[in-house]
Amino acid sequence: MSETTFESSAGRFDRFRAVFAGYPAAVAGLIGIVLFSLIALFAPVLAPQDPFDQSRLDIMDGLLPPMSTLMDGTLSVLGTDAVGRDILSAVMYGMRTSLFVALVSVGAGVAVGVVLGLVAVMRGGWIDAVIMRTADLTLSFPGVLLALLLLVVFGSGADKVILALAIGIWAQNARLVRAVGLSEMKKDYIAAARLAGIGQLRIMFHFLLPNAISPVLVIVPMAISGAIVAEATLSFLGVGVPITEPSLGLLISNGNDYLLSGRWWISVAPGLVLVMMVLSINVVADRLRDHANPYLQART
Amino acid sequence: MMAPLLAIEDLSIAYQLGDGRDAEAISGFSLHLERGRIVGIVGQSGAGKSTIGKAILGLMGDNARITGGTIALDGTDITRFSEARFAAIRGKRIGYIYQNPMTALNPVLSIGEQLIEAIEANTTRRGGDARAYAVELLKSAEVTHAEERLAKYPHQLSGGLCQRIVFAIAIAAQPDLIIADEPTTALDVTVQKAVLATLKKLAREKQISIVLITHDMGVVAQMCDGVSVLWRGRLVEHGPTAQVIGAPRERYTRDLMAAIPTVDHKRARFDVLDSFEDTPGRRRGIAFLKSGIAAGRDGQSLLSIRNLSKTFDAQGGRGTSGGFRALDGVAFEVFAGETLGIVGESGSGKSTIGRAILGLVEPDAGASIAFQGRPIAEMRGRRDRVALSRSLQCIFQDPYSSLNPRMNAGTNITYGIVAQGLVSRAEAKVLAQDLLEVVGLPRAAAGKMPHAFSGGERQRIGIARALAFRPELIFCDEPTSALDVTVQAEILNLMKELQETLGLTLVFVSHDLAVVRQMCDRVIVMRAGRMVEEGNADEVLTAPRETYTRDLLAAMPRIAFEDA
Repeated sequence: MSETTFESSAGRFDRFRAVFAGYPAAVAGLIGIVLFSLIALFAPVLAPQDPFDQSRLDIMDGLLPPMSTLMDGTLSVLGTDAVGRDILSAVMYGMRTSLFVALVSVGAGVAVGVVLGLVAVMRGGWIDAVIMRTADLTLSFPGVLLALLLLVVFGSGADKVILALAIGIWAQNARLVRAVGLSEMKKDYIAAARLAGIGQLRIMFHFLLPNAISPVLVIVPMAISGAIVAEATLSFLGVGVPITEPSLGLLISNGNDYLLSGRWWISVAPGLVLVMMVLSINVVADRLRDHANPYLQART
Repeated sequence: MMAPLLAIEDLSIAYQLGDGRDAEAISGFSLHLERGRIVGIVGQSGAGKSTIGKAILGLMGDNARITGGTIALDGTDITRFSEARFAAIRGKRIGYIYQNPMTALNPVLSIGEQLIEAIEANTTRRGGDARAYAVELLKSAEVTHAEERLAKYPHQLSGGLCQRIVFAIAIAAQPDLIIADEPTTALDVTVQKAVLATLKKLAREKQISIVLITHDMGVVAQMCDGVSVLWRGRLVEHGPTAQVIGAPRERYTRDLMAAIPTVDHKRARFDVLDSFEDTPGRRRGIAFLKSGIAAGRDGQSLLSIRNLSKTFDAQGGRGTSGGFRALDGVAFEVFAGETLGIVGESGSGKSTIGRAILGLVEPDAGASIAFQGRPIAEMRGRRDRVALSRSLQCIFQDPYSSLNPRMNAGTNITYGIVAQGLVSRAEAKVLAQDLLEVVGLPRAAAGKMPHAFSGGERQRIGIARALAFRPELIFCDEPTSALDVTVQAEILNLMKELQETLGLTLVFVSHDLAVVRQMCDRVIVMRAGRMVEEGNADEVLTAPRETYTRDLLAAMPRIAFEDA
């Protein structure tokens, strides 16, 4: 651990505050992210109903408008769907699935992309060529099309969705890391490390990685919101997560059939939550990106 | 007596900081410049030289403002000028010459297009007339084959030629005043002298006044009628060049002069303040270094280089078809305990020699580099590589890129020896602090990150890192060329000090003959990948045998010291 730096946590917190101070939209986004994450995390405790417990659903509660009282006496703030599921509870659980799929796929995609990008920088030559041409190939496919293709071939399921999304994400990260890494490789501190007899792997992870990772960290939030939307799209199309663990996209799709018959609440609630979630992440991501771009801020 | 062309009175400029406070960059600066005269503004980086130049041109950033005083051009105060009024005088009455000609010219336009554009924008000449005038301007800027150059692009021309073209653009509208901001800093000495001579000739012929901003007293001595010395935004001293250089009145100017290395005689130390306190930590650090750096083998051959050539592939960047020969049959020996200087212009291959020795570039087949009698090419095993990296170390040119920005200073110094198991982590912590004291930094510096240090301080950390290995040989790749002259003097003093206490063997690469004279016992002169001359530094640099070395020496800007 001697390679890493220790800064006092107070210093980190102050810098964190400095990034957001004076940007009310970004602060609101940050609050939104925290709120949504907490709801998703504690959905089983917070939700008035377990929407997956078939025994507790009552068909008599089906298609009730918002603010109705269910057969068991609980209040359904956002109404119910066709099988009598409480929308509020379903949305809470749906956020769980959406966030889980997005975070895992981005995590996997970024990890693979960063490592492959670093390997391309370190090894160069044909290894670099193979990695980068593969990345080009992945990026030349429309993301949703690629995911559709994969899901049609392998069948649907949360794990398949994660795989499909990660494939879209690794390529751009590999490219980014390679570009930054190449310019870092030319710097003398890398030469100094090689001169000190430091091994390739160690240079890669202790020298190159910490100096090439910043731009990746800036695009990660953007990738997460992108993954949420992509997952919702796939689920809406019916090739995403299975019906037993509905995500926001699947919930919207469920209500789609009832939209024109005046039962708008089934789709609108998960739709709004989806929009709010993505918006929160995007304003925070924008702020981080601007903060990282020296041309957009007066350096002090 | 006419009013001066440029009269700056009591000028103060402040920059607004991010938190809303003002930082004063220039306070109470005054300058008077007569028509056709050249005045120099000298000072260290950060002294505010460029800020003054930009204020005259109205090119200060949004966060800078003039807080007091006046800048009068021909009696008209221009400090309150609007952007539109500045635009009307910029290029026409005031020309500007940039530090780096390669970036000042537009790489996608030919020289002719750029020149004619400037002519048409600032004069009434058009078409063929403008073209003829462009050729005339190039000729007066002493550009050879002026006619043919019009069709060329900046990357096809050398830095010196590009700077002459920048001159031609600057004088196109026959301005009264030119601001030249470090016009030759990016050029080699041999080129610098001729380019400066042209600039001076232009100023005399066309009665143009020049404000020459530079950090180099040698340039001032060659060019300027008068000089203003700037220190932290304040005018320290001003007067005729001969007086300020020959008999400086102020302490700061004297220090600045004392820090300038000369090629004519070798000094034991530069007369600048050094802060080495004899602390227990420093003594411990020096004892550690002494115990590992084998002394008493003075005169033995440490490194022997035969037939070293290096060809870079054409696709590897520069050069034309068939590759670029960076080194051609270089052969020399380095003896234990000596300092060998390698001098030459940029592109002469001096850094490539070092990179080949250090194993950072692969030499062409047939080369032999032997360290302590063993060919480096055979030392491929893990143990040999470790032994080699312990024995050969490097001090890099650019202190801003040579430290890992994500490690604190202490870790930067010791990560290598820890990784090789030479010291334990616990020992390394103390050792890093001891070594920082050895190089003249406080112990507390170990915990700070590289960005918290100045260039000179970073270079000290780089020296400590190289020393930590207790190497047999240290390759110094232009270790002071990125530093201010006073900082350079401090670093050179430090290296001399370490040389004497530890008996280090150094290979010292520099483009600056004076620095090499101050540091080296023997010297090799390189030109275009070949060795031109080799010998005792005193002889080579005072009585060179080869014409090329003589030319190099003659091109050096010189300052007539009273005691020299």
